[in-house]
Amino acid sequence: MKRDALGEALRGLPVPMPADAEERGLRVVDAAFVQRRGSERAGPESRVPSLPRLALGLALATLLATLLLSPAGADVRAWVGDAFTASAPRPEPTLTKIPGGGRLLAQTGVGPLVVQPDGSRHLLGDYEAASWSPHGLFVAVAKRQTLSALEPDGTPRWSVTAAQRVAVPRWSPSGEQIAYRSGFDLRVIAGDGTEDRLLAGSIAAHTPPDARISPAFVPPAWAPGGEDALAYVTGPGRLRILESETGAVLAAAPAMHGITWMDWADGGKKILEGSPEALRLRPVWPAGHPSRPALGKARRLPLPAGATVVDAALAPQRSLVAASITYWRKHGTYSEVLVFRPGQDPRTLLSVPGSLGQVEWSPDGKRLLIAWPGANQWLFLPLGQGKGRAIANISRAISPDGRPHSFPLIEGWCCRP
Amino acid sequence: MRTESGADERRLVREAQNGSDAAMAQLYSLHWRGAYRAAYLVVHDAAAAEDIAQDGFLAAVDALDHFDRRRPFRPWLHRIVVNRALDWARREALRRRVDGAESVFEPLPPPEEIGGEMIAALKELPAEQRAVVVLRHLLEYTPGEIAGMLDLPRGTVNSRLRRGLDRLREAAEAELTVEARR
Repeated sequence: MKRDALGEALRGLPVPMPADAEERGLRVVDAAFVQRRGSERAGPESRVPSLPRLALGLALATLLATLLLSPAGADVRAWVGDAFTASAPRPEPTLTKIPGGGRLLAQTGVGPLVVQPDGSRHLLGDYEAASWSPHGLFVAVAKRQTLSALEPDGTPRWSVTAAQRVAVPRWSPSGEQIAYRSGFDLRVIAGDGTEDRLLAGSIAAHTPPDARISPAFVPPAWAPGGEDALAYVTGPGRLRILESETGAVLAAAPAMHGITWMDWADGGKKILEGSPEALRLRPVWPAGHPSRPALGKARRLPLPAGATVVDAALAPQRSLVAASITYWRKHGTYSEVLVFRPGQDPRTLLSVPGSLGQVEWSPDGKRLLIAWPGANQWLFLPLGQGKGRAIANISRAISPDGRPHSFPLIEGWCCRP
Repeated sequence: MRTESGADERRLVREAQNGSDAAMAQLYSLHWRGAYRAAYLVVHDAAAAEDIAQDGFLAAVDALDHFDRRRPFRPWLHRIVVNRALDWARREALRRRVDGAESVFEPLPPPEEIGGEMIAALKELPAEQRAVVVLRHLLEYTPGEIAGMLDLPRGTVNSRLRRGLDRLREAAEAELTVEARR
């Protein structure tokens, strides 16, 4: 092999490049450069670059990069558009309207509350966990050993008392069943509060020894298309799909290492598994019979090296995954929200210094609510064109009594059309 | 692949040292893709290559004040990038050896247009040989320069190059034989 031929081959090789990689790197390098310059100056004001200056620098850098590397004017427009989409909007003092509509369920320091489309709030009570029913007609709430169903105005419909502490109630897509954890047991109850039964647990006489619910407390997930299939993770880390009426194991496979979260994707054709280290998408095949699925090998979604996954969410009725990640650089922690589309590289929707928190899709799957605890903000960002909105002082804005409490946990954005 | 003259590059470094956003952005634009490509050809992982290239530039920003303007910027950046890529490849090889639990999972396959016998054969080389092949043939450094960049004796660079090229040649000839039989 001739040396020149090898050099030509290496230079001509179309190496895969993650979407926005160059621009993403430019933002980080630009921020580090601005920070370096600021630290050289004496005045405290100059250490913190102002937003317009950063934006100007970023736009200039992006434009230069584009002119040097891309011949197409359309690329210039797209790059600049992406750069501005990727920055956080200016925060507003109060939430007067939920962008995109719908109702939010948020867990605050004094209990879950419902945020109405006009921004008004209603505290449901002193509960520890809450979950919307599929159409938002009810909310399942848990407090110590009690599981209850409430109307969204807080009116109680029914309650049951379990043997152990209740957690992670999850309504089935039809609303006819609720799966929940009681201690290490996985239980199912009818939507009207009857027919409470054990599905899998450490104390069940006929369940295998590895059927204990994972100590990581991975919430169970109902298959979107069928009433009966429920996925959960056992104590030794096996992912199982159960038939909820009988408890029969329909499929099983080793769950990803360190799994903390999972959900069904792509209309029930895949399961997304998440841990702080990785996100993996696993195909669910119909094996011979529709009611007997088989779990395929999980494939890793590409993430920046060294990134920690904070949260991930699947878009309703769409094959999109949003993930909130953080990573450490010499100059501090950075966070991004990535959106994965099938067969495409992830797109960076937002990139900020510091740590982001939860991500939640709007009911129509067209925008994301992103928690930013470090800035005490909620960000509502559209997936495509449109203006994003940021709400400041969220620990006070979402508080039921107008006083600041701990930063709220997003429990759901209701409801799918 | 040297698209900027030494004088222009020195000017950009000087202006960046004086705080010019545009100069820093231009240095980035001129060298990011080369750094990414070099990193990718050593690690064969797009996410890692992105991180390594980015890290190289962050190191450049960090050390900008102490950078000797008389020296060229490009080899200094490539030295950081290729050394970090080598570190990553070694760590990854170690992780694969000890992390048996992950063996049930498969990494994402590369896109179909990425491939060819050349890249497949390159991927089969040990990371140390890949690094010197990339430095010599993609980035066009001399064995002496490579020895300085990787802190290796020149003889070691030459032997790694020779072994790497021998294996690439074998792969290419095997491919030609298969093609001829079809």
